[in-house]
This record gives sequence, C-alpha cells and structure tokens, in this order.
Amino acid sequence: MPGEVKVVERPRAESSYVRAAAKGMSITMRHLLSPNKKTQQYPDEKWELAPRTRGTHRMAVHEDGRAKCVACGLCPTVCPVNCIKLVPAEDESGERYAAIYEIDEFRCIFCGYCQEVCPVEAIHLGVHYENAEYSRERWVYDLERLVEQEHDVTALWDPQDPASQ
Amino acid sequence: MAENGAKATVTLKIDGVEVTVPSGTRVIEAAEHVGVVVPRYCYHPGIPTRPAQCRMCLVEVEGRPKLEPSCTLQAADDMVVNTASDTARTARQSVIEFLLVNHPLDCPICDAAGQCMLQDYAYVTNQLESRVDEPKRIMGRDRISDDILYFADRCVICTRCVRFMRDVAEDDSLIVAQRGDKAYIDTFPGRELDNPFQGNIVDVCPVGALVHEDFVFKARSWDMDAAASVCPGCPTGCNVTIDTKENQIVRVKPRHNAAVNSWWMCDYGRKHLVMTNRGVRAELPLIRDGGGDGDGDGGELRPVDWATALDWVAEKIDALGSPGGSAVVSPDASNENLFYLRTLLDRLGVADADFRVPQGETAELPTVPTLKLRADRAANAAGAGFFGGRRADGPPNGSAGGALVVLDDELEGAGEDFGASADFFLYLGTRLPGAARNADAVLPIATFAEMDGTFTNFEGRVQRFHQALRPPGLARPGWMVLSRVLARLGDGEAVDDVRGAFERMAAQAPAFAGLTWDGIGLKGAPAAEAAGVAGSAEAGA
Ligand code: SF4
Ligand code: SF4
Ligand code: SF4
Ligand code: SF4
Ligand code: FES
Repeated sequence: MPGEVKVVERPRAESSYVRAAAKGMSITMRHLLSPNKKTQQYPDEKWELAPRTRGTHRMAVHEDGRAKCVACGLCPTVCPVNCIKLVPAEDESGERYAAIYEIDEFRCIFCGYCQEVCPVEAIHLGVHYENAEYSRERWVYDLERLVEQEHDVTALWDPQDPASQ
Repeated sequence: MAENGAKATVTLKIDGVEVTVPSGTRVIEAAEHVGVVVPRYCYHPGIPTRPAQCRMCLVEVEGRPKLEPSCTLQAADDMVVNTASDTARTARQSVIEFLLVNHPLDCPICDAAGQCMLQDYAYVTNQLESRVDEPKRIMGRDRISDDILYFADRCVICTRCVRFMRDVAEDDSLIVAQRGDKAYIDTFPGRELDNPFQGNIVDVCPVGALVHEDFVFKARSWDMDAAASVCPGCPTGCNVTIDTKENQIVRVKPRHNAAVNSWWMCDYGRKHLVMTNRGVRAELPLIRDGGGDGDGDGGELRPVDWATALDWVAEKIDALGSPGGSAVVSPDASNENLFYLRTLLDRLGVADADFRVPQGETAELPTVPTLKLRADRAANAAGAGFFGGRRADGPPNGSAGGALVVLDDELEGAGEDFGASADFFLYLGTRLPGAARNADAVLPIATFAEMDGTFTNFEGRVQRFHQALRPPGLARPGWMVLSRVLARLGDGEAVDDVRGAFERMAAQAPAFAGLTWDGIGLKGAPAAEAAGVAGSAEAGA
C-alpha cells in the first residue's frame, strides 16, 4: 500500500530561501570585515606553543657531548606503551651508559612519564610537533638522533609551583 | 642445647604474639616465627659469627633500660619484645641516617637496586631527607678478585663478606682495612682472593657493594624472572635460583637447603650454569626416510614436523621388534628422561646404557660437610645408575648392530662411522654433534633449564628443578617426546605435564616408589633406594 504524502502548507515568509541566504551572507561579511581573523598562514606562520606542550623527545647532553643517560632502565620500565628500548653497557672508564637507546615516537603517547622518572634529567619531551616522515622506521629515534634534536624541551611543571598547587 | 637442666623450649612475646621456640634461639630468629623480619645487616643465618655491630636490629625489651640487638639476644621465658616501638624505630632511623651520610645514592646505576636492604630500610624507616651538608667521602671501585668488583662507596661495612670467607670458607684473605668512615673491604696485603667458594660473598652482601663482573650493569632486578632449580655441575646438586632476562640466564644464586648446600654454592657451578644454553642447538626433528614418500630408507636427514617424526620413529621401532643393541646416555639427563628411555630400551631388548662422566678437581667448603664440588662433573649419574646405566670410559662404542639409541650425549671421540652399522640409530639431543651424522632420526630435546624435572644427587636425594627458559625452535622435553613415541606403540599415554611423567616413573621404577612430585617439594626427598646408589662412584665419599 503506497504511503500517503502529507502536504504541509507554510507561509511564504517561512519557506522562502532568501531570508536564510541573506542571514548566511551577513555572517560571511561580518567575518570578512572583522579584525579578529583566525585563519593561520601555516607554514609561513607558526603556532606559539605553550612551554608545557608535550612533543617528540630530546636527550640532554654533557658538555663533552655525551648523552646524560646513565642507562638506569627507569624510563623503559615506567613507559606505559613500552616504546623505549634500552641496552645498558659499561664504557671504557667503567661507567654505565646506554649502548642502545631507542624511542618509537609512533607508539609514544607523550605522557611525559619518562621525563618525570629520569633521575639525571636526561630524556625530555620537546616543544615540537612537525614530525612528518616517509616511513615508519624513521619514527624510531635512536640515541644519536635524540641528541641532535634542537627544539626546546618541555617544562613538565611550573618552576614557580612544582606541585601544581 | 639446653644448659644444665634448662627447659628445651622458651616462650616469649614478640609484638604482642606469644611464640615458643627452642631455647638458645636468638630473638631475631624467634621473630621470624611470628612473621616479623627485624631489619638487619651484619646478621646472616648462614654465618656463625654475630658481631652485633650494625645496630640495625635493635629492639625494645620490657624491663631493660636500653635497646638490645636482637641478633645476639637469646630468647628467654616471659620476655616481652617490641620490635616496632617508637624508640626502636627511631634508633633504626638514626642507623640509616648514618649509613647514608657517605652513601652515593647511585641506585639508578647500582645492580642491587630493587633487591637492596639499604634501599628497603631507608623507605621502611622513612629516612628520605639528609641533614648532612658536608661533602661525601668518595672511594671509587676496586677489583677484589678476578671476577668480583667492589664498589666501596656503597658498602655498609656489615663484614658479612669477610666473615663468610673467614668463618665459613676458613680463608682469611679478606679483611676490613682502615677504620671509621675510611673503612673498606680489601684483600690482606700480599694475598689474593682465590677461593672456589668466593662467589657467595656477592650473595651475602646486603647492598650493591660486591658485584660479579659478568653481571655488572646487565639487568635491573625487576627485569629478571626467577626459577627454582638445581645446579647440574656435579652430583651434589646444590639448590639454586636461576635469574633470566630475555630468555638468557644472567645470574645464578644459591637457594637455601639445609640438607644439601646450606646457603651456598661453588663458583664452578655458578659459571657452568650461566654457560648452559649457549651455543648452537638442535631445533627441528630430522628423519631419514628417503624423501617425501615416507616409505623408504636412506637418503638425507630432512626436517619434518613432530607428528611426522614421531609416527615414523614409532613405525620403525614397531617393525624392529626386539633386536637388542646398545645405548649411550648422558649423565646430565633428568630422571624422567632416563625412565622413559629405559622403558623404550626394554622394549628394544637393549640392556646396558653406557654413560661417561667427565672428571674435574674437587673442592670442599670446610664448615659445611654436605657441600662439596665433587669430581664427577654431571648432575644425575645416580639417576642413570637407577635405570640400568653402566659407567664407561673412553669414546662411545657405536659399532654394534641392532638398535642404537643416544640420549643427549655429545659423543666426543666417536668415529666417522659411529652408528653406521646399526639397524636403527635414534638420536635424542639438545645439540647436533657431528657423530649424529649417521642417525636415522634426530629428535631435538630441551636442556634441564628449559623444562621441569628431577635429578638424583650423589646420596640419592631426588630434587626438582623448574623451567627457567623457553626451549629453542621445536625442541621439547625428552619425557614429553619419549612418552609420545611410547604412546604410539601402545605403551601408556602421551604426557604434557611433568607430574604425569613423574607419577608414571614413581609407579614403575622401584627406586622412586612412594615419591610424588608435590611430596618431594622444593627441597627434595631421598629416593627409596638411597642406600644403593649404583651410578655414583663417589657415593658415601
Ligand atoms: S612520553 Fe610516555 S609513552 Fe612516550 S616514551 Fe615517554 S613514557 Fe613512553
Ligand atoms: S630514565 Fe633517564 S637515565 Fe634512566 S634510562 Fe631513561 S633516559 Fe636513561
Ligand atoms: S661489601 Fe657488602 S657484605 Fe662486605 S662489608 Fe660491605 S656491605 Fe657488607
Ligand atoms: S658443589 Fe656441585 S652442585 Fe654445588 S654448585 Fe658446585 S658444581 Fe654445582
Ligand atoms: S644485625 Fe644485629 S647488630 Fe647487625
């Protein structure tokens, strides 16, 4: 049985598109003329990032260029997604160091636990987000690459108020 | 122990709980009966001397004006001990504060972190802040023997290491040098630490001051898995714990067993165990069935899956009947493996199974008569003896006809034609030595560290060991493999669990009558025929 079509009669003032189109155009005009334009001309213009932004890592180094990491194993232990690989070893002077240190930034959830747990303030998250790569392998940062990073490191807490009170 | 007519036991109250202990018991030990572990450094249950010098175990005893060290205080009737009173706690906290004055707090790179009594007690006593402004004394690290490193700054001068060497190993080459905050552990001038039991000083060290060189920086304590096991180095069968990381043995520690090794083990055993499971292993079942058609003989050994290999081997054995022949077994095979092999050999009419035991130097720990590194360098010669094994010398003889079965012997010294004239040559092994080249079938089996099982030690004590590692490739425990071959021949069932294998062995082998897997527990139990251990040349030595 074919359904019945119910025809609703509306006054012209309500059913005409002219009113709605005019309203839309007025919004367009208002934004066009407004001094508060939001469109950003990326990449010519870049975001000003907050100091606590959590992006890809950077390894701190000693004055002689050696990574500060002492291969304590705390960051691979605390990392909730298990994306840090560490193989500790002994160097010529008998110090403990990371023979292999890799972070899979693709798997990382940027929680910041590694930075928080590090006893020697070696590994840091970075104020950085431009990380496009052509392959997934390139997302695994080895120690050399972590040391080479130049962006600012993340401030995980406000030095004025470390306990966030 | 009771002195002139004194009672055999005393009853005292520790932290509000009444406990009755043999008289002569120290309060620190009595407290363990009520589940209270009093913090301690210098006290170690395996070291007879108790200098009461660390002052960590101080407890309050009602009616006594001062705190008493519980490691030397004898329990007495009606004593009321309080281990957790405010005074006792404060005293412990001060001890920790003093110990931390010069401690480098290098837990992040210390191999004891996570298993360290200084770390633990610093938390327990809540000693988290230092009131000391002076710079710390720095001493650095030293090599105390060819395989042990000494990190002087971490040492708490408990002297356990010195007293183990002096009072247990009766070797006075280790001393405390200097005094006060300059004190450190060193060898006596002109002497070297070179004792076959010296590795135990690393185990008694309550902190990370003494570390085996081959373990330094290898693994954090929380990265390791542990399995209760037995040292296969010699027929003493010291109880050990195997620590593994990423399927590799990284450390071996003695496990207490008053009847065998007390708290200790020898250095040979330690090194021998760490080296097990290195090297190339047999990983796939191989058969020589003349190609893919499965009905022929000859041709090359080719890898197949387990079902094919077991079917083919069972078919061959079935067709052979009882031709007699010879067998070579390893004295390192477990009781279960040897039992199943014996069952198979009986079926084939093979009476003797030769085993050869490598020999080495012996070493004794003077104060622990049960612990001795014995000349036989094999775990289970006694077990091999139970199952018709025959001690042999010289290269294995593989020239007989009939069936030839080899269980995990590397066939050192065997000639090119070893097993060439046998009607059927079955090789069950963890590795694939050249002499297995003439085998008709090779079945890859797990080492003792990769399975559960038991060994029989020199005095007939049956001791359990537990799986610490995953076997490589398709290798499986020998008893699992052999029970499947036998099941295909209509003899018993295929077992997947060591309990099943042990049960059948206990039911059929008189030496193991009455024993159960759960019954022998983690400390082992004597076999029924302990008196007549056939395989060990050294029984009673
Ligand atoms: S930020 Fe979090 S997820 Fe990323 S590496 Fe560190 S701990 Fe792991
Ligand atoms: S926590 Fe710091 S020192 Fe420890 S392994 Fe990670 S980066 Fe290295
Ligand atoms: S090295 Fe270890 S066992 Fe020896 S005195 Fe120092 S802390 Fe004690
Ligand atoms: S005495 Fe024998 S069983 Fe004990 S640790 Fe040494 S080699 Fe191993
Ligand atoms: S354990 Fe009692 S004083 Fe050291």
